[in-house]
Amino acid sequence: MNTAQKRRHWRQEKFLPYLLLAPALILLAGMIYPFALGSYYSFTSYWLQYPNRFRFVWLDNYINLVTEPLFLSSLEFTLAFTLAAVVIQVGLGLAIALFLHGRIPGRGAIRALMLLPLMMPPVITALMWKIMMASTNAGILNHMLSFVGVDPINWFGSTGGAVASILIIDTWGNLPFVALILLGGLQALPNEPYEAARVDGAGALAVLRYVTLPLLSPFIVLVVLFRTMDSLRIFDVIYATTLGGPNDATTNLHIMAYQYSFQWFQMGKGMAQAIVLLLLVVICSYLLMRLWNRASESTQ
Amino acid sequence: MRVQRRWINRLLLSSPLAMGGALGASAQDDAALAYYREAKINWKQADGQSLTIGLNKHPFTESLLPLIPEFRRLTGINVEYLILPEAEYFTKLVADLSQQRGEFSVIMTGPMRNWQYVPPDWILPLDGFLNNAKLTDQSWFKLDDFYPALIKANRWDGKTGGGVGEGPLYSIPVLAESYILAYRKDIFDQYNIKVPTTLEEMAEAAALVKKNAGIPGIVARGTPSVASMGTGFLSGLKSYTDGQWSEFDGKLNANFHDPRSVKYTELWINMVRDSGPPNWANMQWYDAMEAFTAGQAGMIADADFFAANYEDPKKSKVAGKVGYALIPPGPGGKTYSGLWTWALGISKATKNKEAAWLFVQWATAQRTLLNATLGYRNYNPSRMSITNDPKVQEIMGSWGNGSYLKVLAKNLETARVAWTPQPERTRLGDIWARALHEIYFKRLSAADALKKASVEVDKVLKEAGIK
Repeated sequence: MNTAQKRRHWRQEKFLPYLLLAPALILLAGMIYPFALGSYYSFTSYWLQYPNRFRFVWLDNYINLVTEPLFLSSLEFTLAFTLAAVVIQVGLGLAIALFLHGRIPGRGAIRALMLLPLMMPPVITALMWKIMMASTNAGILNHMLSFVGVDPINWFGSTGGAVASILIIDTWGNLPFVALILLGGLQALPNEPYEAARVDGAGALAVLRYVTLPLLSPFIVLVVLFRTMDSLRIFDVIYATTLGGPNDATTNLHIMAYQYSFQWFQMGKGMAQAIVLLLLVVICSYLLMRLWNRASESTQ
Repeated sequence: MRVQRRWINRLLLSSPLAMGGALGASAQDDAALAYYREAKINWKQADGQSLTIGLNKHPFTESLLPLIPEFRRLTGINVEYLILPEAEYFTKLVADLSQQRGEFSVIMTGPMRNWQYVPPDWILPLDGFLNNAKLTDQSWFKLDDFYPALIKANRWDGKTGGGVGEGPLYSIPVLAESYILAYRKDIFDQYNIKVPTTLEEMAEAAALVKKNAGIPGIVARGTPSVASMGTGFLSGLKSYTDGQWSEFDGKLNANFHDPRSVKYTELWINMVRDSGPPNWANMQWYDAMEAFTAGQAGMIADADFFAANYEDPKKSKVAGKVGYALIPPGPGGKTYSGLWTWALGISKATKNKEAAWLFVQWATAQRTLLNATLGYRNYNPSRMSITNDPKVQEIMGSWGNGSYLKVLAKNLETARVAWTPQPERTRLGDIWARALHEIYFKRLSAADALKKASVEVDKVLKEAGIK
């Protein structure tokens, strides 16, 4: 090896890994900087319009959250909404996936149509539903319900109606995602256990309970994980329809953090709320990931 | 989020092709610019400088956009702009102002907003520009052509708790908004319903409309936000208490739980709950306006200029069927409507201050604003000469069979900024609106909900160091 070759070799050895890593490092820095800044602000009294009152307040923002009634109610709504959304969406999604897994005519067309809601931006979905959910009979949904004898439902004007509306809109937008993942899972399942079950004389329900569900469990945990993360931090649908109202019935942690940060400009408090939300998402994801690992190990 | 930038236009304008086109259009230009060239100032004094204008999505904004090339030819100043819907606009604006980045040179603001921007020294007083003969030809610009009440609304001495109408002028108004009662004259006549002159009569009228015509008797904004509070509701409360009540006592203690305020709020919420639309708690201003325009309400107490919408036969089912009246007065017999003006101001962080002022002067000049009113329905005019323009008179004079202009003139005699100056007005309004929801949904009594709101506002003001 001559010197020129050696130098080239050295240069490649030394710099190539860094060069290849650079895009990822830049991306990471771009993510870490705002996150670190946000976390730092959550320990300060940062309030945009009072720059002179900027102070490091340690854990005050977090401690004060406990005494803030809106925080407690929005935490409660965040968790309750997530539970309801995940149960409804995964339950219905599983039913749809099982239905589509069977030999039904027009399966391909149905599957293609199901993708439509996934292609819509959530804000557009929300606004579309908001128009359909007008509280009088002028709203198409109430109009259609009137044919089956249902009185006009006060969708967004009552607290219960608003919560139900958000659930319906979110479900409409995300059900296809759940159904498609589970359908993909069903199609990937091995045939042998089914054959064995048939030989043993198991009925359809028993097959579902003792064969399909256990085998499908990694996929189920996966969609539960995705839907939990998304439901915990849902924002667009609520912002576009109820703004957190009425009577704060649909204010979740994300909406509350937005209000504090960008409506009232109390960045310190808003960031603390956002960090609490982040921790919630991280903890739930961690627990579900562990479950997923266990589920996928047991099915292998 | 709608974002538009004019950089493509700039590129096109700088191309040789466009230059040829511009030269060809010079004769037309002369006619368009002649009005501005009557001003005895050198419009070219900031030639080559650049400005970015922050604009809220609004008819006035729509009216400015096609004229911006004209401004560029008049002054040689390059203009870019950013247009956002109101909520996003104010968020972006505060972010820019607080960082003192000077991204926006000229901003769309207004009296209550200025209270937030003046204490931290974010926007410039405009008197210096107005009084500088090099920058302003006062006899041409005619500040005294603006309604005095609107100019006063944009003056503030910077003291928390008062001082509106005193001190420096922070923004030049581009429209005027006060609050009146619009009602369905056809329904009121058909069922012999009396046009209300007290709040109690208003509630009765609303109930009668609902009972007889089968539509909500009243429609109003109801989302849990400051935007629901400052129009019909606050004007009604001010009037109900003969202009005496304000959201603070003399020592800046929140005053929502004052017995007069409690009584009024009870009456208002009962009226809305009993005779209003079922989705009141989810109604923004345009929902309320559209409901009335679609013939789905007997009354609405809100912005006067919504009349332009009600009276537009292309959009409205109620054109020609609407009567206008003052919001019911209190025992003293006078109505005290609130007042708002969209207005143009200048960010302190901007480098090109003179260029920014030339833009403000051009955008609020008589010809520009007349074009906004006639071509883009930018009501109500902030300049008296525009209201008195024969073409404008022909349009506005026909509304409510002539009653609109009369009611408006009467309203403006006593209309004034209804809020008390302090930087946390948005927060205060949001807290107050939430109290209304607690009363509406019967979670708390009016007295308890309003007391709770007072306590919360006091806490916020203390935390912000305002009291």
